[in-house]
Parts: sequence; structure tokens; C-alpha cells
Amino acid sequence: MVAFRNTDTSGRTSGLLLRCVLYSLLALGLIIVDKRYDHLGKIRRFLSVVAYPVQVAVASPFEGWNWFRESVTTRDALRTDNDKLKAELRLAQFRLQRYEALEAESQRLRALRDNTAGVSDRFIVGEIMDVDLDAFRERVLVDKGARDGVFVGQAVLDAGGVFGQVARVEQLTSEVILVSDPAHAIPVQINRNGLRTIAVGTGDMSRLKLPYLPTSADVAVGDLLVTSGLGGGFPTGYPVGTIAVIKKDPAQSLADVDVRPAAALDRSRELLFVWLKPGAVAPAAAPAAPLAPAAGAPTAPGAGPAKPSAAPAAPAKALPAKPARENGG
Amino acid sequence: MMREDKVRRAPMAISASVALALAVLPLPAALDAFRPDFLVLVVIYWSIESPRAGGLGLAFFSGLALDVINGVVLGQHALALTLIAAWATNLRLRLRVFSMLSQSLTVFALLAAYQFILFWVDGATGNPVTNFSRWLAPLVGAAIWPLLMGTLGRIRER
Repeated sequence: MVAFRNTDTSGRTSGLLLRCVLYSLLALGLIIVDKRYDHLGKIRRFLSVVAYPVQVAVASPFEGWNWFRESVTTRDALRTDNDKLKAELRLAQFRLQRYEALEAESQRLRALRDNTAGVSDRFIVGEIMDVDLDAFRERVLVDKGARDGVFVGQAVLDAGGVFGQVARVEQLTSEVILVSDPAHAIPVQINRNGLRTIAVGTGDMSRLKLPYLPTSADVAVGDLLVTSGLGGGFPTGYPVGTIAVIKKDPAQSLADVDVRPAAALDRSRELLFVWLKPGAVAPAAAPAAPLAPAAGAPTAPGAGPAKPSAAPAAPAKALPAKPARENGG
Repeated sequence: MMREDKVRRAPMAISASVALALAVLPLPAALDAFRPDFLVLVVIYWSIESPRAGGLGLAFFSGLALDVINGVVLGQHALALTLIAAWATNLRLRLRVFSMLSQSLTVFALLAAYQFILFWVDGATGNPVTNFSRWLAPLVGAAIWPLLMGTLGRIRER
């Protein structure tokens, strides 16, 4: 038996080499085509539909367990939960009233400045699937895909703030890259003073960093960072995180600033996919306006004599005041 | 002969699917880096035990499946698995007479080579993973090799 197998298989070694080379070339070709040209999208989507059952099969026991745990919670637990939620809802509604008033005010002001109004409107909610992707990249798989209109680069939020953006779309699922991924960067500004910078992921879910702030920059621990909307990928004004640690070494030209993300990157299960309104990128110009108050004035001379007189008077104060109000809302 | 092949392919396919599922099974974040590459171990096993049943084909297509499930560039795991399967097939006659310890060491070399190919493709496609914990997986994989060999051997004999 053994002898037979030996002769047989040794006769096939040349075949082995040939097939090895063939398969390797095929794989290399796939890598190059997938990387260089985006022609494999359709194949990939098809394959992902085939792979979907595996992902569902892996996720289902955990979902079943969650369902089981939810169905056997006691009445007491449900009641306390319910009370807590009601209290939270009251608070949220109270805040929302103020928010609506503020939004109306903001709309009026924007209309005054001939600016496009609104941030974003349409959301859908996706749920994270219980599937571990690559251990060394901060990515999650969500159960909404091309079928639901999700697109690459779309902003993804959770209840706390900005969660990440869509990195790849399959037919039924999509892959979201977290703000904490080392390959992810997001344009932000400090809510207190409008200072713009970029927050970069670290690979650690509890930490982002601001690598491009000079040591002289006006930052303080506890400052809220919001999306600036520059670059157009993210809607404006959503919380990204709060500044946790600032290390300023006088010998260095850049400060070492750590940010605690506002989104519960390691706990959230439901995510919001956001559709920006067409033209909603324009509000991003708002934070930039005080840098060029002189440029703003000549473009709107027809707005009336009242405006040019008001604009130079308080361009420096107007900006810090406005985000502060948003902060309160 | 045909029958023998048929009998052998079912456990191959099943073990490969289980390995694929294990590759994406959610684990606590602390344990995630220690997750061994089950699929490579399975492919190595079948390359050693029954090279005639098409270990290379299994390696290529299950690698492609892993690429899709893992969401990395298409062909990465397929390439690495094909090369490792070919190497393991080449070594199989020696591997069969090795003691368990030497086998584990050889498997460690194979797993390290596998990680190196992945590492290289990662770098070549522009998203390098500069993280040493990637090299933990071959250690764990080599450590569980005897266990896996016993389990798969029992399944094959059945």
C-alpha cells in the first residue's frame, strides 16, 4: 500500500509543481487585478453571497444566546430598564425641543448668509454581525449592503458619535472601518474654539490621536471634538471624541494629544448609515469663514448695508460663540 | 480508485468549512491575536495524508473563501495556502516518519512561511500590518498540531 502510494505520488511531483505554479499565478493575478483595477467587484459580490451562510452560521449561536438571555430576563429587570429608558427619553425630548429651536435659528442664519442648509437627513440602521474580521485591523461587518443603497465612503455613526466609514460594500453586508483603525483619519475641529485638525486612529479602540497640532495650539483636556465636514465625507458637527491627554514637550514642535472616542467603538451593536443631502458639503465653509471675513463681505454686498457692518465687528467672537451654543443643545 | 477519492473528499471539505468558520468565530479581543490559522493546519494535514485527493485545489479555493470572508485583497490567502500546500506535499514523506516534536517544528516553519507571505502581500498592496502579535499565531498553531492531527486522523479513519 505504502509502496504503491509512493511510486504513484512521486510520479506526480512534476504535476504538483506545475499545478502549484498555475494556482500561484492565478492568485497573483487576482491580487493584482483586485488591487489595481476594481473589476472584481461583481465576482467579489457573488462570492460574498456564497460566504454569507458561513458568516450567518458563525453568528447565529451568539444571536441565539442573546435572544435566549433577553427572553428570560425577569420582570423586575425589565421594569427598571423601562423606567430608565423613559427617564432618558424625557431628557432627550427636552433636549430635542431646544435642538429644534436651535436648528430653526441656524437655518435662518444660514439663509441669511446664502448658505446651503441642513446637515444630512436620511439614515438607515444596520446591525453589527458577530463575526471577527482580521485581528489586526479595526473593522466590523454590518448586515446592510449594496441592496440597501450603502456606498463606499459613507459615514457611519452610533448613538455616541462618529463610528467610522464604509470601506467595502457587498451585496448583503458591508465592512465598516472604525475611526480607531490606524489607516483611518477624520477631519475634526475643536468645538470650543473652532481649531481644525485631523484625528487619526491608533489601532486601540479607546484612543485616537491628533498628530498635527503644534505645541502652541489652544487645546485643553476635556475639549469636545466634532466633525468639521471638510473633505465632504462626514456630515458636520457630530461628536468624534473628547481630549483625554495632552503632552507638550517644549523641545518638539508638535504636541502629543490623545482623544477618547465619543462612539462606543467596542460596545455598539446598532449603527446609523448617513446620507448627506446633496450640497450639504457647503456648510463646511462655515468654520472657514472667520479666516476670511474680508472675502465673505465682498461676495455678499447685495445682502444689505447692515451685514457688512456687522461682519467685521465680531468675526472673531462669532465663531467661538456659535459652537458653544451647539454644545449646549 | 474513484471510490477512494470520493470517500476522502467529504472529510476534506467538511474540515475546511469548519476551519473557515473557526477563522471568523468571535473571540474576546485579548485572545484574538492567539487564534491559530486553522485552515492552514487543515490544508497541511490533507497535503501530507492524501496528496492525491487534490490538496492544492482545496488550498486555492478555501483560501479564496477565506479572502472573501475576511475581507482582504482577493487572492492573498489563496496564494499563501497554495504555496504552503505545495511545500507540505513536497515534505510529506519525511514528515510522516518524523517524531511528533519534529513534526510540530516543521509545521511551525510552514506556518511562519504562511504568515510571511501574508505579511508580504499586505505590504505590497499598501496596508502593512506593523504588529508583532501576528507572529503569535504560528506558535499556537504548532502547539496544537498534535491535537489536530489526532482529531483529523480519527475522522479520516471513520
